[in-house]
Amino acid sequence: MNVLEVKNLQKSFGSIRAVQDISFSVEAGEVFTIIGPNGAGKTTTLEMIEGLVTPDHGEIHFGEMNWGHHAVAIKMKIGVQPQSSAMFDLLTPEENLDLFATFYEKARPTAEILELINLTEHRKNQVKKLSGGQRQRLAIGLAMISDPDIIFLDEPTTGLDPQARRHIWDIILELKKLGKTTILTTHYMEEAEKLSDRVCIVDQGNIVTIDTPSALIEKLTKEREVRLSFLDGEKAAEEGAIFADNLNSVARTEREGAVLKLWTIKPEDTLLELFKFTKEKEFQVEQVSIREMSLEDVFIAFTGKEWRD
Amino acid sequence: MNNFNQFKKMFSAQLKLTLREKQAWFWGIFFPVILMVIFMVIFSGSSDNEFESEIAIVADNPNPTSEMLLTQITQLPILDVKTGEPVSRDTAERWVKDQEVDAAIVLPESAEDTSFVLVVNKEDERGVTTQALSAILDKMVQQANLSAVGAAPTFDIQFESLTSGNNELNYTDFLLTGMIALSIAQGGMFGMVDLVEMRRKGLIKRLRMTPAKMGIFGLSDMVMRLLFSVIQILLLSLIGVFIFGANLFISFPSLIIVFFIGALSFNALGYLFSSFSTTQNAYMGVANIVSFVMMFLSGVFFPIETMPDWLQPISNLLPLTYFAEGLRDSMVYETGLFSSTLWFGIGVLVIWGVLSFVLGSWLYKRKSIVAAR
Repeated sequence: MNVLEVKNLQKSFGSIRAVQDISFSVEAGEVFTIIGPNGAGKTTTLEMIEGLVTPDHGEIHFGEMNWGHHAVAIKMKIGVQPQSSAMFDLLTPEENLDLFATFYEKARPTAEILELINLTEHRKNQVKKLSGGQRQRLAIGLAMISDPDIIFLDEPTTGLDPQARRHIWDIILELKKLGKTTILTTHYMEEAEKLSDRVCIVDQGNIVTIDTPSALIEKLTKEREVRLSFLDGEKAAEEGAIFADNLNSVARTEREGAVLKLWTIKPEDTLLELFKFTKEKEFQVEQVSIREMSLEDVFIAFTGKEWRD
Repeated sequence: MNNFNQFKKMFSAQLKLTLREKQAWFWGIFFPVILMVIFMVIFSGSSDNEFESEIAIVADNPNPTSEMLLTQITQLPILDVKTGEPVSRDTAERWVKDQEVDAAIVLPESAEDTSFVLVVNKEDERGVTTQALSAILDKMVQQANLSAVGAAPTFDIQFESLTSGNNELNYTDFLLTGMIALSIAQGGMFGMVDLVEMRRKGLIKRLRMTPAKMGIFGLSDMVMRLLFSVIQILLLSLIGVFIFGANLFISFPSLIIVFFIGALSFNALGYLFSSFSTTQNAYMGVANIVSFVMMFLSGVFFPIETMPDWLQPISNLLPLTYFAEGLRDSMVYETGLFSSTLWFGIGVLVIWGVLSFVLGSWLYKRKSIVAAR
């Protein structure tokens, strides 16, 4: 069942066409992630869906509801964590949550939210004294206070250290367990890969592709990068490179000191041949690795752009 | 949640925000109190005291005339004779030079001699004390002259002071009401900086993502501001009355109307500033300039009538002029609701308030600072 449907969204600011043509639908209970470079139109798209910006063209449906006729009802149903984690800095997390709770018809108990976002210990400290990660968790907590069915998280982990980021991932996975629908934007490929059911890549105001992370990676060329580092030094790596170049499965090779890099469509066969060769020559191999394909490669392949964290 | 509960929760949040905002307390409460105390100590402290002067008397050659004058002088309560009896001329002159006494009076050397000498320090030559002393002596000389020819004075001066109101307005009352007007006006003009901050941090946008009723939010904010102003009035009045002896004759209906309209107008002015300021610094700059100009041109510290003629028309345009006058009318003169001056002032305040609010709203909409990113 689709909880959100977006059709042909367009938005310009002056001469800048921020969103050119974006359509997608989100199913109940999934984590739907929008990724794209800065200025791709992610935030504008989200703000149109959240009812903050009126689209120049296009439709937004929350089931049977739309912004024109059911603004308050939609606001009751959705929870939003905006990029700027705006809240009352002089109030405590508890007071912020209590205040936001009064805006809605139904609200989850504050203590429950505090527990979920792991801020129970800091509930009586003013927000201005919280760390970046704690603030961000509170912003997510504020988005969840009304127990919404759909939650929008706009770059919830930007600027956080790895541990704080992992905290937030746990919260998102927890939301998924509760059957909530999450619409997420992120800068981090690893995050999109780990959390999302589906990923939507946006570039220059258009959707480049939408699919599950694994399907997107599948779509890429099957060539994989294999690395071997030799204990016997450059000489061994050089000989290995000459040998590998003569194998049918190997597309090309590169050598950096004692490390041999090769690209192959059949990593297993290639490695088998290589190990036969090293055994024969009595070379010692220190490390072997097959590089995982990631969303980053997908992104580069689809947009032709280098990914910047 | 129903509207009233929402209002209660929002109000309690506003209360906590204000209580925790140290700046608000400093500028809203501490600063006006200090300013008022300083002004009152400097300008009104001594004016309540009677004129009194310490002098030395030189009577090197006691004779009937000097004896008679000596008795007269020592009987004057405002003249305090150092050591209580005449001293030598040298001693007296030394005291004058060291400013241990305000002046020395040298009495006539013989019964036939008819001249006094008033010796003062060069520094005090033009001082108020010197002028007063010479006037006193002059009067004594005149009387002595009259009695010498056996005549009675024909002309007489009586001194009376007038004010326009029912009750006498002394400087303490003037300053107290001026300070109350100033602090409420500044509360409004500076207080709206929160709005700039809320907008800059995206808090207004954040609230618009919720079904929160912004009208109720605005109302709770306004009630909080009015409450803060009530605290200002009470605190300044208590200090004025109990520490500096101000006399208040309050007409509550007038005071309540003037207070409400004034506080709302100055908040509207702050709202206008917030509509075109994108940063806190820009806002504070504008608010500072406007408040500084008004502080000195609106008859807060000194009556407008003491200012140069060409400046007075400007004062007559400023809202603070009318707010201060309205507060004076309702707090000192006990002016009731049937005063045309009162309503004229209220009218000017309403015009300022409405214009600021309409212009501010228009600017907010036009620039759509709230709506756009």
